[in-house]
Amino acid sequence: MKIVGIAACTSGIAHTYIAKEKLVTAAKELGHEAHIETQGTIGTEDALTKAEIEAADVVIIAADIKIGGRERFKDKKVVEVPTSMVIKAPKKLLQTIEQKLNN
Amino acid sequence: MNEVLDITKVLDKKLITTDLKSTTKKGAIEELSELLETENYLTNKQQFIDDVLLREEEGVTGIGNGIAIPHGKSEGVQQTTIVIGKTDHLIEWGSLDDEPINVIIMFAVKKTDATTTHIKLLQKVAIMLADDQFLESLRKAQTKEELFELILKKNGGK
Repeated sequence: MKIVGIAACTSGIAHTYIAKEKLVTAAKELGHEAHIETQGTIGTEDALTKAEIEAADVVIIAADIKIGGRERFKDKKVVEVPTSMVIKAPKKLLQTIEQKLNN
Repeated sequence: MNEVLDITKVLDKKLITTDLKSTTKKGAIEELSELLETENYLTNKQQFIDDVLLREEEGVTGIGNGIAIPHGKSEGVQQTTIVIGKTDHLIEWGSLDDEPINVIIMFAVKKTDATTTHIKLLQKVAIMLADDQFLESLRKAQTKEELFELILKKNGGK
């Protein structure tokens, strides 16, 4: 799968970045490709490009707060989860999404 | 990385203890805040503690594997840093895996941190914490030197 996503947590200090790293690592290990934008206390980093979003099979929004730029995903399949789910079981999440996409 | 970030800017050996006495979450946060105050990282200890506890109410900060990462962005912080505490007993914390913890990595963030450098460094520490093997080695470390070296090494290896 080609995955794009957003990570954002309440204070934008820790969970945001742990969630991103876990998603990217799990995706790599499962043979997927993931680009994750972070919206943290120092603003947006690794912003998704239009091309990345267009090419993506799925958008994962791992957030505990309202994220910015949601309209970018209006024609995409969007999965919304709290950061805790990504931190706890990133592979399981990706496997579930993959299954759903294939059905 | 085109910017060289020195992790020791947010990692002070004096802010690592392997001898945390508290048996409760609140107690441990207070004990670590005490250490921050002693080493002159806080301007207002009570305010910092309140901000950390406020964040705790918003969701669990135990990330599994016996590690907790309480954090506060607070006007009570003089200088952004991390403080690390280990206990030889388990503390009920509220974790993603529902298990108690014995390593606390607390992030103290200055409310008006004009430069993003320190926050970038905290980010690097957060990213390290996405690695379960690294968490395991933090739990096994016996001394503050070991903890310090583990983080330095992990940072260098990235």
